[in-house]
Amino acid sequence: MKKFKKLEWFWAVLIFITLFNTFLGEQFESTALVSIIVALTVMYKGITVIDHFMELKHANRNLRWLMRMYLILFPSLIIATVFF
Amino acid sequence: MNNKIPSKSLGIFPRSWSEEQAGRIPGNIPIWVGILSELTEFAIFFVAYFIAKYNYPEVFATGPQGLSTSLGVANTIILLSSSYFMAKAMMNIRLDNRIKCERYLWLAVSCGAFYLIIKTWEFYWNNLQGLSTSTNEFYTVYYYMTFNHFLHVGWASCAILWVIFRLRAGEYSAAEYSGLEALAVYWHMIDLMWILIFPLLYVLR
Repeated sequence: MKKFKKLEWFWAVLIFITLFNTFLGEQFESTALVSIIVALTVMYKGITVIDHFMELKHANRNLRWLMRMYLILFPSLIIATVFF
Repeated sequence: MNNKIPSKSLGIFPRSWSEEQAGRIPGNIPIWVGILSELTEFAIFFVAYFIAKYNYPEVFATGPQGLSTSLGVANTIILLSSSYFMAKAMMNIRLDNRIKCERYLWLAVSCGAFYLIIKTWEFYWNNLQGLSTSTNEFYTVYYYMTFNHFLHVGWASCAILWVIFRLRAGEYSAAEYSGLEALAVYWHMIDLMWILIFPLLYVLR
């Protein structure tokens, strides 16, 4: 029963982050800080889906590592664009 | 004559990758070969995006302003919700509650259908604004990425319908649900790709 509540919590957090990122993008000029916040929150969203929705947290560690690296690498490139 | 008992593993990965040593593989190995192939395909799109953005910073700074952010946000919320419904479907099949599992699968496929309708409307709306693949480099990348993702949601939604049909036929239970789980991880992968696509095309300037 506890796990059911946990899923609902992650769902709400993921939607909140989406709305927050959109607010940042719409209300502020695209500064380095906005890009970094968006990149970090995208990493968090990805890792949350991988661990709790895809249920890789307690599954195959290599698949989890691969998926996590993917969702860390590409948002990191967003941070790299700050230095273009 | 080879009398070896067929192994569950495909035998193409290192031993350290085996389920005994690295942990359980959700779904089955073939779906993960598919998922990793899809991730490679999308990785090429993302690399193309960053190269194009590096070369045309002005075009990529103004490009998102021509898109409907609210439609992008709506689709993000819809896909996140679909992933949640899929996770709930998985929980319920493990409890052998097939009725609830089917209910959540219908909710997930409804989300898929809503996504496709909204995306079609967005493409139509873009067309009315005079936007197309040849407008500029940003829209070329936008159409390649989003139309490709659109196709993935389309065929995965059809796969959910197939899984519902098999669930109703009694093919899945708490003891055997690998087919359903394979679809679930594939669906989450599609959601993950949108989690990356959304900020790149709609949020960041």
